Amino acid sequence: QVIPPFSAPGLVLGLLFLSTAATGSCSGKYQGLLEQLRSQADYMQDTSRLLDPYIHIQGLDTSGLKEHCKERPGVFPSEDALWRLSRWDFLQILNATLGQVLHRLTTFQQDLPQFKDLGMVMLYIRGFQSNIHCMCQLLGSSSEAAKPTQASPAPPLPTLASDAFQRKLEGCRFLSGYHHFMHSVAQVLREWGKSPRRVRRHSPRQALQKGAHGTHLFSRGRRLAPSGQLPW
Amino acid sequence: MLTLQTWIVQALLVFLTTDSIGGLLDPCGYINPESPVVQLGSNFTAVCVLKEKCMDYFHVNANYIFWKTNHVTVPKEQYTVINRTASSVTFTNIPLLNSQLTCNIRTFGQIDQNVYGIRIISGLPPEKPKNLNCIVNEGKKMMCQWAPGRETYLETNFTLKSEWATEKFDDCEAKRDTPTSCTVDYSPVYFVNIEVWVEAENALGKVTSDHINFDPIDKVKPNAPHNLSVNNSEELSSILKLTWINSNIKNFITLKYNIQYRTKDASTWSQIPPEDTASTRSSFTVQDLKPFTEYVFRIRCMKADGKGFWSDWSEEASGITYEDRPSKAPSFWYKIEPSRTHGHRSVQLIWKTLPPFEANGKILDYEVTVTRWKSRLQNYTVNGTELTVNLTNDRYIATLTARNLVGKSDASVLTIPACDFQATHPVMDLKAFPKDNVLWVEWTATNGSVNKYILEWCVLSDTLPCIPDWQQEDGTVHRTYLRGNLAESKCYLITVTPVYADGPGSPESIKAYLKQAPPSKGPTVRTKKVGKNEAVLEWDQLPVDVQNGFIRNYTIFYRTIIGNETAVNVDSSHTEYTLSSLTSDTLYMVRMAAYTDEGGKDGPEFTFTTPKFAQGEIEAIVVPVCLAFLLTTLLGVLFCFNKRDLIKKHIWPNVPDPSKSHIAQWSPHTPPRHNFNSKDQMYSDGNFTDVSVVEIEANDKKTFPEDMKSLDLFKREKISTEGHSSGIGGSSCMSSSRPSISSSDENESAQNTSSTVQYSTVVHSGYRHQVPSVQVFSRSESTQPLLDSEERPEDLQLVDNVEGSDGILPRQQYFKQNCGQRETSPVISHFERSKQGSSINQEDFVRLKQQQISDHISQSSGSGQMKMFQEVSTAASFGPGTEEQVERFETVGMEAAIDEGMPKSYLPQTVRQGGYMPQ
Repeated sequence: QVIPPFSAPGLVLGLLFLSTAATGSCSGKYQGLLEQLRSQADYMQDTSRLLDPYIHIQGLDTSGLKEHCKERPGVFPSEDALWRLSRWDFLQILNATLGQVLHRLTTFQQDLPQFKDLGMVMLYIRGFQSNIHCMCQLLGSSSEAAKPTQASPAPPLPTLASDAFQRKLEGCRFLSGYHHFMHSVAQVLREWGKSPRRVRRHSPRQALQKGAHGTHLFSRGRRLAPSGQLPW
Repeated sequence: MLTLQTWIVQALLVFLTTDSIGGLLDPCGYINPESPVVQLGSNFTAVCVLKEKCMDYFHVNANYIFWKTNHVTVPKEQYTVINRTASSVTFTNIPLLNSQLTCNIRTFGQIDQNVYGIRIISGLPPEKPKNLNCIVNEGKKMMCQWAPGRETYLETNFTLKSEWATEKFDDCEAKRDTPTSCTVDYSPVYFVNIEVWVEAENALGKVTSDHINFDPIDKVKPNAPHNLSVNNSEELSSILKLTWINSNIKNFITLKYNIQYRTKDASTWSQIPPEDTASTRSSFTVQDLKPFTEYVFRIRCMKADGKGFWSDWSEEASGITYEDRPSKAPSFWYKIEPSRTHGHRSVQLIWKTLPPFEANGKILDYEVTVTRWKSRLQNYTVNGTELTVNLTNDRYIATLTARNLVGKSDASVLTIPACDFQATHPVMDLKAFPKDNVLWVEWTATNGSVNKYILEWCVLSDTLPCIPDWQQEDGTVHRTYLRGNLAESKCYLITVTPVYADGPGSPESIKAYLKQAPPSKGPTVRTKKVGKNEAVLEWDQLPVDVQNGFIRNYTIFYRTIIGNETAVNVDSSHTEYTLSSLTSDTLYMVRMAAYTDEGGKDGPEFTFTTPKFAQGEIEAIVVPVCLAFLLTTLLGVLFCFNKRDLIKKHIWPNVPDPSKSHIAQWSPHTPPRHNFNSKDQMYSDGNFTDVSVVEIEANDKKTFPEDMKSLDLFKREKISTEGHSSGIGGSSCMSSSRPSISSSDENESAQNTSSTVQYSTVVHSGYRHQVPSVQVFSRSESTQPLLDSEERPEDLQLVDNVEGSDGILPRQQYFKQNCGQRETSPVISHFERSKQGSSINQEDFVRLKQQQISDHISQSSGSGQMKMFQEVSTAASFGPGTEEQVERFETVGMEAAIDEGMPKSYLPQTVRQGGYMPQ
């Protein structure tokens, strides 16, 4: 059984990572670190890193099948939800999501030994987490970082299908959702670079959603449950 | 099989060794520390501890311990006995060594036993590595380099450590052969700062470098752009478009570029301004290029913010810009060839092909027009670069244009002047000099309205003709270089001709070398004239083909075989030189070197020998010597002449021929006729001395001095004749005649005459057919003539006839002595010269004369004799030329005749040997 990264235990593990896993020193420069995060997000939203090779390897690169390889909503936090998060929460959710992705990619690595670039992508994700750690350190020294925020949401744990084909499709949808999620992260981080004080806590669209559905991390509007499993 | 045997032997050895360690080789003690590594320059102390069992066995304690390093005993001053079982040794300021230290004991007072041994290794701890830096070659793993610091002399390990903020990476151990760098075994992760440092560790310590923290993307060296291609544009002849493919790093970072280009033949690159290529791109259009020119391009890239490293240069790619119309008119000139027809001339129009950067394309052809003043122009289309036209002697205007695919060039206009055109205004201050490996020409214009200048040049050679090349320069140019393919060491004759609107000006020429060199050959020197102390050398000017430069000077080296070489510098304008102060009669070796600005070359060696004597010196010596010899000889002859009697007496005294001797006595009382032929009248005893004594009667009207003068003349002639005489006969004749003329040597004459029978007569004759003023007499020593004349009366008749035809002849005869030789006397020779043509034998003539005289005497019974005496007296009165001679003459008998005032005759008498007796 896979521990859902966005569940309470996953969050705890993530926070533990942020607090204890540090070994080296961080650069301490906000803009440099933010630029690195942004570049990493840009790098990871590129489908040529994971999704395209995966589709090719799994033999899903046919016109009919590609259409089924679309993100299933609710697996990764929506961009709207990310916009609503504080930086601290954003980093926590991001870190937890990346941990989940790493876990899933580890599974891929076992199932798809021919997926050579997978190890490199996983290394990049670990590097992303290192930068998140440094950014958290940097933000932790500020008032905003010290201020407690709303409980971070956790993504739902996908259910592994027993059917092989279904598993291929699930993997494809997962990677598609991952790339989309990283795109959203890049958007948020790009907004961070303008000015720390001008960073909007809520986008206009977010405001509309907030008014209609309240605060929801996932695009389907399901509230993050602190415990328990959510359907995929 | 062999391997198995080796294994068995090794195993057995190990077994035995292991067994021995436990039993046989149990040490008596040990040294602490066991394996020391000591820092250079530090102090080191080792302690040897003896075992009790061993001490008891050998009856020793720590006092018996002594130390050795490399088998040399350490001085006891360095020992310290700690207790009964332990002794230490201390070394200060350990040098660089790897030595063996042993602990020994002396057992039983004389046996040294080794207790334990260790090996001391010294070195230095590692220094902190410096200048740590890393590079990430795109697509490869990160490599870091550092400076390891000083030599440690110990095995030192360098470890590159790296970590993120959240995790560590595996260490990178530097290899032994590359201890200053290490390449990590993980792929670089961009956009994550990594912390890197180096640890250096050896037996003496561990040290860590400074940590560096960086994003690997800032250490990237991208792969070079590839597939660079170049394309031109038909619309614009000045642009080329470059395209390339970037490396994958462009997905991570923004790139900037360096784009460089050059023409195909150039060596230096031009670069596109960096600000135009500061962002990621895959194409670029290069502008402001020359038409129809091939350009070569290359490109490289790096991270746009300047962090990291430039990629390598891409492979070069080339492209040619599109054509454009020729940008410049061709250089245009002409040559006039000798005219064959009257009133016309053949003009060769020549021009230069445009260089590519002016042709702007491929020149298809040239258009030439030739126009005479106010007449129809003639058009020519030429593919080559020359055109020969036949023109009249008038002035012409020629134009030239070059055409390519796009269009025509501007026209070059050339004025071909009329035949009677007088060129003027040459350029001034023409100079030519090499610089930067080209030959520059510089001049000053005399007239400001110069359209252009024509520079012509050719190689000056003694063997090859002057094949001129040329180029054209604008009228504003006063300095240019020759754009031909010039060779070094060649003499170029450069001519500059200004071209004015109405025609060419006067050409001006100069010689120059692109690069001078020493002459290929040295001058051949030879002697023009060699004197006792000097030599004039001459040589020919070197041919221009071997000069290789301007001959600045010559140097003449000359030496003797044993002497030092002497050098003399001679100006290059000279072709001869005089070496002075030479030694006479000496062999000299001389050679000559010619020098240009770049060096010299020796010519062949030439040898000559100075003479022993200077010109005329031999003559100056020989002539005086000869003269001195002649003078000495003359003096000797004179001396001999003076002493001839004495010499004759001692050398060849006269020996009378008894067969030709007779005795005669002349006396006034005896009949005048004597028969000399009668042999009975000869002296029978062999003694002889016929003395012919002439008594001169002073009845001549001439005064005495006048007579003396005539006699003197005669005597001079006589002496002169004697001077020319030679041989015995001549000498004897002269000696015999002398007493007859002068009686100064009275005694000697007496001796001479005592040994000969002498005759004398009066010779009234002049010198060389001249009528003498006085009569002189001569004497003959012949013993026979008178007798012969008596026997041959026909001879007498002949003489009379002769005398009748020529009255001079009888007066020229004189007596001579018959010395056994026939008429070899120079007197006779002289006489013969004076009467050339006479065929009458002189001897016969003398005989005839004597016969006459004899007849006179006999017929006139004394009167004739008297007459003869008168003649003789006349001659005698002029005999001696000096008073002394006169006095001597008087002693002979004249004195008596003068004193008595009457003629007296002296008849020949037979005189005893040794003298004569005057009567």
